[in-house]
Amino acid sequence: MTRRFPFLLLALAPVMAMAAPDRPYINDKKAPDSRKDLDVIQKALATVLPKAREATVCIDLGEGSGSGVIVSPEGLVLTAAHVATGVGKELTVIMEDGKKLKAESMGLVSTTDCAMVRILEKGTYPFVSMDREDTTKLGDWVFSLGHSGGFDKDRGSVVRLGRLVRTADSTIQSDCTLIGGDSGGPLFDLEGRLIGIHSRVGEVLSQNMHVPMREFIAHWEEMTRGEFVGEGPFAKKPEKGKGFFGLATEARPEGGLKVTKVGRESPAEKAGFKEGDVILKLNGKPLATREELQEMIKEMSPGDKMALDLLKGGKAETLEMKLGER
Amino acid sequence: MNAKFFPILLVLGLSQSVQGVQSLESELRKNGETVVAVFEEQRAVLQKSSAVIRDGRKELAYGVVISADGYILTKASEIAKISAISVTVDEAKFDNAKVVATDAAWDVALLKIEAQGLQPIQYASSSDIPQGTWVVANGATSGSRRRALPGIISAKPREIPAHGGAALGVVLKSKTKALEIEEVNEKSGAQEAGLQKGDVIVMIDGKNVSKIEEMAALMKDKKAGSTVKVTYKRAGKEDTVDVRLAAKGELFAQKSRNDQMSGDYSSRRTGFPRVIQHDVLGNKESTGGPLLNLEGLCIGMNIARADRAQSFAIPVEELKEIAARLMK
Repeated sequence: MTRRFPFLLLALAPVMAMAAPDRPYINDKKAPDSRKDLDVIQKALATVLPKAREATVCIDLGEGSGSGVIVSPEGLVLTAAHVATGVGKELTVIMEDGKKLKAESMGLVSTTDCAMVRILEKGTYPFVSMDREDTTKLGDWVFSLGHSGGFDKDRGSVVRLGRLVRTADSTIQSDCTLIGGDSGGPLFDLEGRLIGIHSRVGEVLSQNMHVPMREFIAHWEEMTRGEFVGEGPFAKKPEKGKGFFGLATEARPEGGLKVTKVGRESPAEKAGFKEGDVILKLNGKPLATREELQEMIKEMSPGDKMALDLLKGGKAETLEMKLGER
Repeated sequence: MNAKFFPILLVLGLSQSVQGVQSLESELRKNGETVVAVFEEQRAVLQKSSAVIRDGRKELAYGVVISADGYILTKASEIAKISAISVTVDEAKFDNAKVVATDAAWDVALLKIEAQGLQPIQYASSSDIPQGTWVVANGATSGSRRRALPGIISAKPREIPAHGGAALGVVLKSKTKALEIEEVNEKSGAQEAGLQKGDVIVMIDGKNVSKIEEMAALMKDKKAGSTVKVTYKRAGKEDTVDVRLAAKGELFAQKSRNDQMSGDYSSRRTGFPRVIQHDVLGNKESTGGPLLNLEGLCIGMNIARADRAQSFAIPVEELKEIAARLMK
């Protein structure tokens, strides 16, 4: 828990954009000093919260969950790199009403904790707009949403109010308290625009760190293309040779490899492999010996796609699956 | 609460003097003096109608003043086992507070102090208020002055089931045929009722039990905070005691990663029939006091700081009912 990781910063100071004309006056006041000021904050929240909440999702990877937020009607989701954990990962997006949707991680920025996820099922999804012009300032009133501690349908996502208490190039900090499960969830301004994604916390309650929108905008194209950007602390690139298939084979005299054993809960078992199946080709290459298969897998990384030509019960079949992780 | 999640990473030793970094002065933050000053009206209500519960000089909890003649509600588990409870209302200190009654299911205790002319809290007509609405609760007291901390309603009202189900707080011997107690858990209902190692449980609520499965079946639908009658044999003699049930997850507490980053949290934080949730940045001691709306009316009583991001309060509807029942 006490591990310190490099706090990465760009050399340039952020360019502060001019305040938007529709900026709530309360943000330019040192502190609210009247009932009217408090009502303005409360009213702004009441206005934008339903829509913000609809677009906030839980991201479930089986071994854990985080949060995310939908930013396009087609179902593009922004989250944290340490939630997506990698590129091309299968995951489940859970909507506020409990509806589960198949999704896949796209690209990520491992140095600053940005990631994109795509909902695979066709539909028109509730979404929020982003503060692309970077108009928020230190002291602005903000609110966070997220599935704190995991998805809970009776509770819904949890809203917290605070102010922007610290800004740096690749991190903004608020006193909206975050906790595990909130990772990847959205931080909004009082107009309901997305200004950041929850990333990490310090020990003090006011140290809640978010990745600002400008980091996402700066790497938008790379993430859309599914690239793994940087070698940062928030996600680890899959390592060559760490792939896991989970079956044992023996060579057949007539060519191809006969499956002699399928590991329990292995990627092979999940892909439907049974003892007696025959693997003829991997990624188009005919296989004659066990060593050939082992060599090929050694050159691959966890998550890499495998196209297999098989004989199942004597019938030719093709199968696509992903290599697991050892 | 059992769900797995990607832990928010905990970062220590943030660098302070980096170029391009701006920081908001602490008095302008959500809990800062300048911001909190706008909640003076609600603070004045806390000054008169909330109580500070202390063990000697140590602050344990807050309380809700519900009558002019000194009846006060507080969080029962925070004051359990304190022999000399001192209570401060406004600037007056009372050293002779007595626990009149408790409601184990809600974890509420009714205290009585010898006082007159107190200003009881005024109840709001409903706790059914939208998320995002301002609420105010007690923060750490400075001397005789109450402090107000702001927050908002942050999730749907709901039941918080007992973490891990309800339990007596005993470990049974696994190899013997009878239900012989191997160990009694600290701070459990079994310990409070005086059960000991070597006692053999023979009946639960008047029903014979001789196997662990039978006992588990009887315990399955019980709620943490309620009591069961346990009949046991010790040295050939049978006796029956009332045992308070605790949430299993709190008896055998293992700190999760979320707990580690939460600072202090309430030891009893699950097993409530219904709560409203808010985001006031308090600590473990800031439970037991009233939760106010901007009108200064009581919409509930703070009953648990569940974790870094979530605090629970008993809704005013249930609170009024509990108060009336305990006052009888």
